[in-house]
Amino acid sequence: MSRPELTGHASLFYNAKEARKYDSSSRMVGIQREITERAIELLKLPPGRPSFILDVGCGSGLSGQVLEEHGHIWVGCDVSRDMLNMANERIERKREASASTGDSDAPSDDDDEEDEMDEDDDDSADDDDGETKRNKHNEAPSPGDLLHHDMGTGLPFRPASFDACISISALQWLCYSNTKEQIPKKRLMRFFSSLYQVLRRGARAVLQFYPETSEHAVLISECAARVGFAGGIVVDYPNSTKAKKHYLVLSFDRAYKAPEGLSGLEGALLNEDRAGVRVADKDPKKGKKQKAPRKKKGVGKTKEWILHKKETQRKKGKETRMDTKYTGRKRPTRF
Amino acid sequence: MRLLTHNFLRSNVKGTENGYPLQIEVAALNYEESPVNKEFLLNILPKVNYPALRSAVQQISHRCEPTLPEIPENLDVSDTEGNEKLDDATIVKLHRVLLDVYLVEGWLVCPDTGRKFPVKDGIPNMILHEDEI
Repeated sequence: MSRPELTGHASLFYNAKEARKYDSSSRMVGIQREITERAIELLKLPPGRPSFILDVGCGSGLSGQVLEEHGHIWVGCDVSRDMLNMANERIERKREASASTGDSDAPSDDDDEEDEMDEDDDDSADDDDGETKRNKHNEAPSPGDLLHHDMGTGLPFRPASFDACISISALQWLCYSNTKEQIPKKRLMRFFSSLYQVLRRGARAVLQFYPETSEHAVLISECAARVGFAGGIVVDYPNSTKAKKHYLVLSFDRAYKAPEGLSGLEGALLNEDRAGVRVADKDPKKGKKQKAPRKKKGVGKTKEWILHKKETQRKKGKETRMDTKYTGRKRPTRF
Repeated sequence: MRLLTHNFLRSNVKGTENGYPLQIEVAALNYEESPVNKEFLLNILPKVNYPALRSAVQQISHRCEPTLPEIPENLDVSDTEGNEKLDDATIVKLHRVLLDVYLVEGWLVCPDTGRKFPVKDGIPNMILHEDEI
């Protein structure tokens, strides 16, 4: 699988051409829809209640569309302006379509404002009559709002704003640094701590991502745990290379345990492997163990090494002491 | 961008203490009515900062065509049960100002630092410069 993360910044990769390709590929659309449906399932929102949801890395708004179908109102942010333009186009199209079919009472002209107002009062009365909610939303889905923003710099919202947060195939971008100033861990920490703030207490976040290595998955979940989130990574179809999906499910509830991942035919063979990466309580020793063992001090400073170094210094024309029989010799022990 | 989103948006430039509410400088607005979603409103109202909403309405109303409905001066929306008692007319008005007016072109200005965030095609640009992170 190719990894666009390695090629540079997300806003550079998802340029106008790539954004259009992404949005018009039926395979992408299908996958995104499937993932979003699963993410909403994992969110376990109270049924029948429209929520205010943050979509981090909304891209061209494919995931937002699914949220709309479920009756939720969303705010999406993305770092690629071209992707956002695609999302904007989609919203415009939808608005035009709903205006032309006449399902929505959105005025096409400012002139017939008076009539529209009257109609609307009727409409709100209708709502009380127990019209099925799903239908109402299908008729006139309210578009989401878009924001051009880099999630690695912290989310620009006031505390306790959102009922839930989803993110589809975006989090892995935070694991790569494209400039010297970008430190993945710092950016992840900043993202998660701001996410912790902007979510309502008791809310949940489901973040689907593609970790390149298991270290990335561990890094991401460690950062989430450090800011105070409970939860873990749910791995769906762990034994399939293509269908395998990682969802980081976060909750404020300390006792919350991430649910089991789905396993289809591919998953049936080796069920034990499903555990994949799971964040249990953070083990402080764990981090240390993974560090590469330090080089022993002085290993490089043999007689050959010193002679070689002196030689190169001499070649550079630097003042260097001559080689003697004492060069590189061990000092006598004192006692 | 709708006033609903504006109501939750704040500046997070380095060194900003509050960064809320962002002042709105309007260049272009769009007003489009949609069916009233009462359930969503009742869900979101306790979280809405009403004074910020009201000042936002005042900042944009002179540019809005047609004029925005007048919302009550003081309204306590923090209480979920109290909101149930709101009459339908008020709910419709709140829906209009929160969800039906769009800032298409303009600026959002941080009240503390004066940093301006441009809004283009309805999308605010909240990208921070490197020295603001």
